Amino acid sequence: MQESIICVKYYTKILLSSTVMDMVTTNLQQQRQITEQLRREAALRRITVSKAVEDIMKYITEHEQEDYLLVGFSSQKSNPFRERSYCTIF
Amino acid sequence: MDSATESEHIEKLIKEAESLKIKLEDERQKLNDITLASVADRLETITCINVKPRRVLKGHQAKVLCSDWSPDKRHIVSSSQDGKMIIWDAFTTNKEHALTMPTIWVMACAYAPSGTLVACGGLDNKVTVYPLSQEDDVSTRKKTVATHTSYMSCCVFPNSDQQILTGSGDSTCALWDVESGQLLQSFLGHSSDVMSIDLAPSETGNTFVSGSCDKMVLIWDMRTGQCVQSFEGHQSDVNSVKFHPGGDAVATGSDDATCRLFDLRADREIAVYAKESIIFGANAVDLSVSGRLLFAGYNDYTVNIWDTLKCQRVAFLYGHENRVSCLRVSPDGTALSTGSWDSTLRVWA
Repeated sequence: MQESIICVKYYTKILLSSTVMDMVTTNLQQQRQITEQLRREAALRRITVSKAVEDIMKYITEHEQEDYLLVGFSSQKSNPFRERSYCTIF
Repeated sequence: MDSATESEHIEKLIKEAESLKIKLEDERQKLNDITLASVADRLETITCINVKPRRVLKGHQAKVLCSDWSPDKRHIVSSSQDGKMIIWDAFTTNKEHALTMPTIWVMACAYAPSGTLVACGGLDNKVTVYPLSQEDDVSTRKKTVATHTSYMSCCVFPNSDQQILTGSGDSTCALWDVESGQLLQSFLGHSSDVMSIDLAPSETGNTFVSGSCDKMVLIWDMRTGQCVQSFEGHQSDVNSVKFHPGGDAVATGSDDATCRLFDLRADREIAVYAKESIIFGANAVDLSVSGRLLFAGYNDYTVNIWDTLKCQRVAFLYGHENRVSCLRVSPDGTALSTGSWDSTLRVWA
């Protein structure tokens, strides 16, 4: 009884150690990639949110007049999707 | 290397990663000096959005899954769960081509910059390119360009008809040569299905953005294949990503019922577009040509229009009778097309 338990334990350990080895190897590659990615991102140069927001607002102000979905058409005739008016001949 | 030293090595890498994460968060926080909505406070409120339903495009037999405008600002390509791809004249609502695909669930379709090619794909894991012509049967000239190991969820031509960029359920993006079908670059970094991609709005741009079911938004360099930036924030699948026309920010829509704006230069989220009453996921987002308006299509059948600066909803479009699955502003910004699981597309202007 005692012997068979030890045997099972030993067998499990062998099994585990080989899968652990595989896991360690893939984990190492994965972890290396994760850390390298973080190193790259940490090296990025950043600007303040206030500056970023200012530039976004500047772009919007400069292009607002061409934004038909925002400001509409000066005349509905220039809307390519206006309802067409049909002439009916009696 | 034996397993003990490997483990030590991993531990060192994990420790470094953790300290880098803290450093990154610190740096980002240091520059977070103001909120977008507080700066926008002094702007006038958008009071009247005069966008009306103008056309209904009927012809698909099942859910519309994707659509794209032709560069001529008049034609629309759409793809559906019924296995069809249709080319519409959006002015007249006529169908100019109806192509049967070798698969159902055609989840992606796109016009090439020349307007003479369309690409589509889906559950067949492939992207197929069709040259459009009036003379002969379009389907005889089709060409399979790319193959992924899972479904293809999105595709786009990056600035020329010669290449196509795809996103897939196999969690990768890939750049292909249209003529030879050769894989030019793969983009590995997501840990779950890629749902959406968009190109930076510069003709020489080599940057694109991807959104995934891993909740991440990644920015890529197309030449090197490297991920250059990553944005966390969404609590669920990121279904749609779109560059701000200025090129320095990306808007996103997610199953977490929020849309967000991430700034590339500030390297962080700068706005969340959400309301307590909005509880359904956002499937598709696009911005008006100035970037002031964000259009988002939701699972509750509505399209919400957000003021990107004041972070408020300014209007909503109601008309579809099922989920809004796709949505695109026309290239000149005069119209918005929406596609839905109700099998129709609508044009609003």
